[in-house]
Amino acid sequence: MTTTTETIGAQSVMRDVLELYPGAQRALFRRYHIGGCSQCGFQPTETLAQVCQRNGELNVNEVLEHIRTSHEQDAKILIEPKALAQRLKQDTTIRLLDVRSREEFEAVHIEGSVLMSQPVMREIMAEGTNAHALVIIDHQGKQGLDAAAYFMGHGLTNVQCLRGGIDAWSQEVDPKVPRYRLG
Amino acid sequence: MNDDLQKKITDAIANPQNMGELPNADAVGTVGNSECGEMLRMWIKYKQDRGRKVIDKATFQSFGCETAIAVASLATELIKGKTAEEALSMKTDQLAGELGPLPPMKIHCAELVQGALRSALEPEMESKPTAGTPTSQPTSLLDSFSKPKEGGLKVVFLNEDKEIT
Repeated sequence: MTTTTETIGAQSVMRDVLELYPGAQRALFRRYHIGGCSQCGFQPTETLAQVCQRNGELNVNEVLEHIRTSHEQDAKILIEPKALAQRLKQDTTIRLLDVRSREEFEAVHIEGSVLMSQPVMREIMAEGTNAHALVIIDHQGKQGLDAAAYFMGHGLTNVQCLRGGIDAWSQEVDPKVPRYRLG
Repeated sequence: MNDDLQKKITDAIANPQNMGELPNADAVGTVGNSECGEMLRMWIKYKQDRGRKVIDKATFQSFGCETAIAVASLATELIKGKTAEEALSMKTDQLAGELGPLPPMKIHCAELVQGALRSALEPEMESKPTAGTPTSQPTSLLDSFSKPKEGGLKVVFLNEDKEIT
């Protein structure tokens, strides 16, 4: 059964849920550890009720409410470029994690940032510390929230995502970092 | 990681099963990259068993952590006698076998094994009708930000229109 109106319910398929609430997958993983990897993932054709049922019989209404507030939850994770620049001056322990491709990272990156790789991810997970802030950087703010939600779903709470990615950083903080597009 | 799990991993890697290249393998699957420190390759040999094409033997080679080696060692034993479809339906906690549930920080080790297995077995699945099986891979956050982009990426600087490939 598909949802054609701008509402979602227990019988809505996940494709429709994600279309109406783009932050739903992040919200589901942050709180319920659903949709993070192939093991806990879901099919676009599964209904929300089916996903809830096979994940410990979650209360569908509670999950629906959580999804509906996903936009506000995403907003809380974001950090403004200028605010990050200010914090970096005061706190040298902040870890900047760049989740773009190696090609993009080598072409341009924020000083002090580290390119995401499996060893880097493993190191962050193994440390499991919330003592130092982790800030995710992507190109234009599209994949960064997914990465932030992934780490938060694994128990890290001191995670933020640069609003607008490195593109916003170029425009609002450091014009010496050149803007680019992917050809 | 608790002491019990660490002991099971230590025991598994003390006598790893099915390590090394499998001559005349029917399928090979690789995930990761040895240059970035984590890579796992898996070889599969099939046989016919009562009209079914099942996995006769599976071996692996790993440049990953000891947990990945332990999971690969156990998984290559557990998938023997299963069809490609049956092996692909196994979740990471099943592949980890007697290691039991892995802590969050170690789940990706089992995912590495699952990825290599999928890489090796999916060509077999693609050659068969898929009725009754999912037609697409589950969507996941991990894929959205860590999956390698297909095709060569070209970075074009906006101000100079300079292209880097």
